[in-house]
Amino acid sequence: MEVSKDSRKVKVALKYCGSCNPHVDLTKIARHLAKVVVEQRYFQLVPLSEDDIDVVVILCGCPRACGNKEEIRAKAKQSLVVAGESLDGRAVSEANLPSTVEQKLSEILDS
Amino acid sequence: MSMMTGKEYRESLRKLKPEIYYLGEKIESVADHPAFVPHVNAAALTYDMALAPEFEELLSATSHLTGEKINRYTHIHHSHDDLVKKVKMLRALGQQTGSCFQRCVGHDGLNSVYSITYDIDQEMGTDYHKRLVSLLKEVQSKDLMISGAMTDVKGDRRLSPSQQKDPDLYVHVVEKKKDGIVVSGAKAHITGAVNSHGHLVMPTAAMKAEDADYAVCFYVPVDAPGVIHIFGRQTNDTRKCNCFLDQGNAEYGIVGGEALIVFDKAFVPWEHVFMCGEYEFAYELVERFATAHRQNYGGCKTGLADALIGATYALSQVQGTDRASHVRDKLVEMVHLTETLYCCSIACSCQGYALPAGSYMADPLLANVTKLNVTRHIYEIARLAQDITGGMLATAPSEMDWKDKRVGKYVDKYMKGVADVPTETRMRLIRLLEAMTCGTALVESMHGAGSPQAQRIMIERRANLERKKRLAEKLAKIGEQPLLVC
Repeated sequence: MEVSKDSRKVKVALKYCGSCNPHVDLTKIARHLAKVVVEQRYFQLVPLSEDDIDVVVILCGCPRACGNKEEIRAKAKQSLVVAGESLDGRAVSEANLPSTVEQKLSEILDS
Repeated sequence: MSMMTGKEYRESLRKLKPEIYYLGEKIESVADHPAFVPHVNAAALTYDMALAPEFEELLSATSHLTGEKINRYTHIHHSHDDLVKKVKMLRALGQQTGSCFQRCVGHDGLNSVYSITYDIDQEMGTDYHKRLVSLLKEVQSKDLMISGAMTDVKGDRRLSPSQQKDPDLYVHVVEKKKDGIVVSGAKAHITGAVNSHGHLVMPTAAMKAEDADYAVCFYVPVDAPGVIHIFGRQTNDTRKCNCFLDQGNAEYGIVGGEALIVFDKAFVPWEHVFMCGEYEFAYELVERFATAHRQNYGGCKTGLADALIGATYALSQVQGTDRASHVRDKLVEMVHLTETLYCCSIACSCQGYALPAGSYMADPLLANVTKLNVTRHIYEIARLAQDITGGMLATAPSEMDWKDKRVGKYVDKYMKGVADVPTETRMRLIRLLEAMTCGTALVESMHGAGSPQAQRIMIERRANLERKKRLAEKLAKIGEQPLLVC
């Protein structure tokens, strides 16, 4: 991974599946990440339309994972996929999703 | 070896020597005994249609293991298209057979065990998935038909497996050996069991640590020592041995043909063991299998319903009622109910998703809704068919009396409908409607793939009532009001 917390403020974009009938509250994850940006400032949230995005967090409300598409993943160097109560295929409870996404994001940026 | 034809499938059954009992008789050849021939014919069609150009797109697939063309019944789903095609395949086969063609159970078993063995290995460091893949390659290359054996006889339903007075009321491991395990117990109403090449046996419910011996999943050949089949009775089953027309659907029968499989200290080599004590995964396996199997019912049963609607419409023409507005309205209702079920199966397939193993499963909530609707709609479709058919459905004279020298002329004269259609046509349609709506066939729609309460339990688990409550609270301005993310 070419990005780092120390080198520059890395770009993180969020992409929602569309939220037709979500099993989990995706907005809680988004709001948590926005809070982390304000408090820790080691990454910035940017629109998916920007260039040179480092990580795209794909937020899908259920395991169908409609937002997890190749063309979305291709917009960033790395991606994280929330699909209902799971993160990158590993089971995570709804309550733990925001902090787990933050932790995973931090691991990526540190790597 | 490549994909088999129906004829080759029948020949392959003749080479096996399974232990089968029916009506107090030990059966020598299921491929040739009249009580079993209709079921063998229905299963054989899953082979022939896979090779027929007009059906091969649905009934064949490409193996993800070998890249070879295989029968879809041996395929592991790897896309939404695979899930949808399974449903379409089932509808096509239902239309052609008007009965159960049995092979879906083993197919669903293979898919669920494929994904769960991967998960167990990831968590426990076992090598079950490798074993399953090895079996799968054999199943695909030999085009084997395997049954899916999940339902235990259960004994006292209040008690868990390990609490039963008789330990054999759930299939369990009685001995672990260096080269394999020894199992005892029985699996009930296993579709297509007697005319399969082998059985994929799975646990039937969630297990706790004390039930670890019951958390067992394995494969056995149909003619393995200690594996005994007792074939179940069906409505009017003796007609298979002494009638033709009165069977209604002589070629394919009325249901799949279910058996009680007894495991009397049967030996299973380790290479065919896919779970042995990992009780934590028993429920997940049950749910994946149940989801896969409940996904099917808006496919196969709608195929049957198509034939049933056709029979009802044809009989209304033969009886001169086809232009009555209430008959047309009931036929429309039958179609509406049928297509509602199909919508459910297609929907749960389109909403399916990938598992860690890379295989796909249908959406569990929608699959359970599908099957729960089948327990109602198929009965209503049958009720409407019986309504239009009339009381003759239950009182028609036999084909023997129709052929009798003394009274045959009276049966022919008084069973006639409209003048220009032979009496035989009406009798054949009535018998087909009887076969499809009276007795065992209907019960299959109720309890096949699990009884209605089993679907309700799974629906409740996935209902997410708390989220629905939050939606209502937002509209009613109760508590914190979530805003759109800007």
